[in-house]
Amino acid sequence: MERLIAAIKKEFLQFKRDRMLIILILWTYTIEVVMCTMALSFEVKNLHMAVYDMDRSQWSQRLVEKFTATEYFTKAIYISSLKEMDSLLDSGKVDMGLFIPLDFSTAVQKGETGDVQIILSGTNSNTANTVRGYATAIIEGFSREATKEFLMKKGMAGEFPEVEPRIRVWYNPELKFRYFMIISMIVLAGIMVGMIHPAATMVREKETGTIEQIMLTPLRSHEIIIAKLLPTITIAELSLIPSLLIATVGFGLPIKGSIPLFFFASTIFLFTSMGMGVFVSTLSRNLQQALLISFFILFPVLFLSGTMVPIESMPSAMQYLSLLSPVRYYMEIVLGIFLKGVGLKVLWPKLLIIFTFGAVIFPLSLLRLKRGMYK
Amino acid sequence: MILSALIKKEAKEILRDPITLGTAIFLPLVMLFLFGYAISLDVEDITMAVYDQDRTQESRRLIEVFSASGYFIPRYYLDSTKEIDEIMDRGKAAIAIVIPPDFSRDINSFKKTSLQIIVDGSFSATAMIVSSYAAAIVNSYSMDLMERYLEQRGVQQRHLVGVVPRVWYNPPMKSVNYIVPGLFAVLLMAFPPMLTALAIVREKERGTIEQVYVSPISPPVFILGKTIPYGIIAFGEMLLILATGTLWFQIPFKGSLLLLISASLIYVLTTVGIGLFVSTITRTQLGAMLLSLIVTLMPSFLFSGFLFPIATMPYMMQLYTYFFPARYFNDISRDLFLKGVGLEYLWGNILFLVIYAAALFTLASMRFKKKVA
Repeated sequence: MERLIAAIKKEFLQFKRDRMLIILILWTYTIEVVMCTMALSFEVKNLHMAVYDMDRSQWSQRLVEKFTATEYFTKAIYISSLKEMDSLLDSGKVDMGLFIPLDFSTAVQKGETGDVQIILSGTNSNTANTVRGYATAIIEGFSREATKEFLMKKGMAGEFPEVEPRIRVWYNPELKFRYFMIISMIVLAGIMVGMIHPAATMVREKETGTIEQIMLTPLRSHEIIIAKLLPTITIAELSLIPSLLIATVGFGLPIKGSIPLFFFASTIFLFTSMGMGVFVSTLSRNLQQALLISFFILFPVLFLSGTMVPIESMPSAMQYLSLLSPVRYYMEIVLGIFLKGVGLKVLWPKLLIIFTFGAVIFPLSLLRLKRGMYK
Repeated sequence: MILSALIKKEAKEILRDPITLGTAIFLPLVMLFLFGYAISLDVEDITMAVYDQDRTQESRRLIEVFSASGYFIPRYYLDSTKEIDEIMDRGKAAIAIVIPPDFSRDINSFKKTSLQIIVDGSFSATAMIVSSYAAAIVNSYSMDLMERYLEQRGVQQRHLVGVVPRVWYNPPMKSVNYIVPGLFAVLLMAFPPMLTALAIVREKERGTIEQVYVSPISPPVFILGKTIPYGIIAFGEMLLILATGTLWFQIPFKGSLLLLISASLIYVLTTVGIGLFVSTITRTQLGAMLLSLIVTLMPSFLFSGFLFPIATMPYMMQLYTYFFPARYFNDISRDLFLKGVGLEYLWGNILFLVIYAAALFTLASMRFKKKVA
């Protein structure tokens, strides 16, 4: 016990001396969280549209108003040639073009179908897809309205069978992308710090050769690892406090679930991440290798975790692969705690999976570390 | 002469570390496949839960319309509102619809009825698409109802306004066509600068840099000797991604290949230039590594317009994106791939990259000289 305490003291001392690292860990948990949450969004709102209206009738005007009445389209720029449309779309000044042909209102008044064109720039296909969805829904709604009016005029008054979609959004009713982004950034900070920091400190000892001195001490290998990892888990847990404050006070993230559960889940997740970090350190000879191998593991683990894009949008092979990413389960847990307010009753299987990852990787790296000792 | 000796020495050191070399070559490929397949917001096959309180032919027909759309898969059929909570809380379904008990009765007596649609808003970007798709499906179902009703009364009436969507520049709207050209900017920024910085800082840490100081090697030659090998690796990376992107993912390439290659050469110079600069202001490998992450990988990934559109960022953050060369190269690469524009459009961005690279190299060799003196 005494020697363990001494080893822990030594690690904390060493950690305290590395100011650059402390600053960077705090940076990951605070400034980066703020920057990314403020700047990054897949939200498609405040769209500008270019309108080329050859018809110039009451009908075409009503259609344009349908667009600007929504919260999605905020500005309509009128133009008078397709060439203008090209340059506006090309430069990204507008997100969509609406082309209303000359005979639009004539057709509608006769009870025939008048086609309008929506023109999108596919250079950002995600935005284009969303905009197309909005525009189609708006035009379809308008079409229904116009058809009904036309029939009424022809004397077919009365009620028509009709189904009205009443959409309710749960968990994030205002559809704020920020809520997702900030949770995602906290999760990412957890894996980055939890994995890279242990990998780096272990390998550094290898590189400077001091690891041999530690091996010569009566410390057992699990004691070495415990001492090495305590500073990481301490700073990572402490950093969660400012980032939680930023999330709730700064960005208004609601906390529907239990905070102690969040810290408990984070501890288990950090345990698994550190296990991955120690494993990386047993594979590498120097810092550069440790970092590159970390990346090799981090990139798939991150991009298949649902922290960047939802897992449902991936092809099914990738969805199955995502089951292997511990970050996926942590992300689901944190989303569940903050936005859905669910508790251990729902989340325990995910916690168990994360813990299992850690329980497998830790003994494995311990074994590799020991083998490295006797070589 | 000294330069070629330096390059040889650096190449030897790179070859002695197969893990680094392997990662430098294969990691970009792994990323290409990850991004090519996994990063898309295309919404398809959304799992749906259905609570059908009506259980009639009409309600089944509505569910059929949802599944026939290709966007929704009705997987869970529920018997109570409590079950909706369960399914949504566990994230098993992204959308749930509740068909009211008098659904078909209302329709058959030509009344207006409603359908409750519950959408999981956790990932708001998808939630918006999902709800607009669901609304569009219900609208068109409603349209059909009206047409059927009119037909029964012997009236032929088609819908009055039709939509013809046209997509310019990337007509199939495949995410991969848009992701891969942007990926060049990220990948070339991710590793070459870090490796360059580490190569120099390592000599500092080991003290071997003193030997360089006392040798007759001049700072520019030393810098070139360090950067040329990594520049070559970066350039090889870029050719590999270009080949895989066009052959495997079949990304159309509209512009001039020569222009793309010369622009990427300049870009590679700026990226290793950043690595060089990082090496002059850090002393330890760990510091160099972390600093290069902050000035290269992060901005090129998050603030270059590669994944997240710049136009939706707050004004201050938009200004921030101008500081990093990735943004400029991202524009060049996408314009060349998707729009096929020429030098007359791109010269501004290219000129900026040239100035950026020149400034970095001058700055780095100046800082180096100071140390020697």
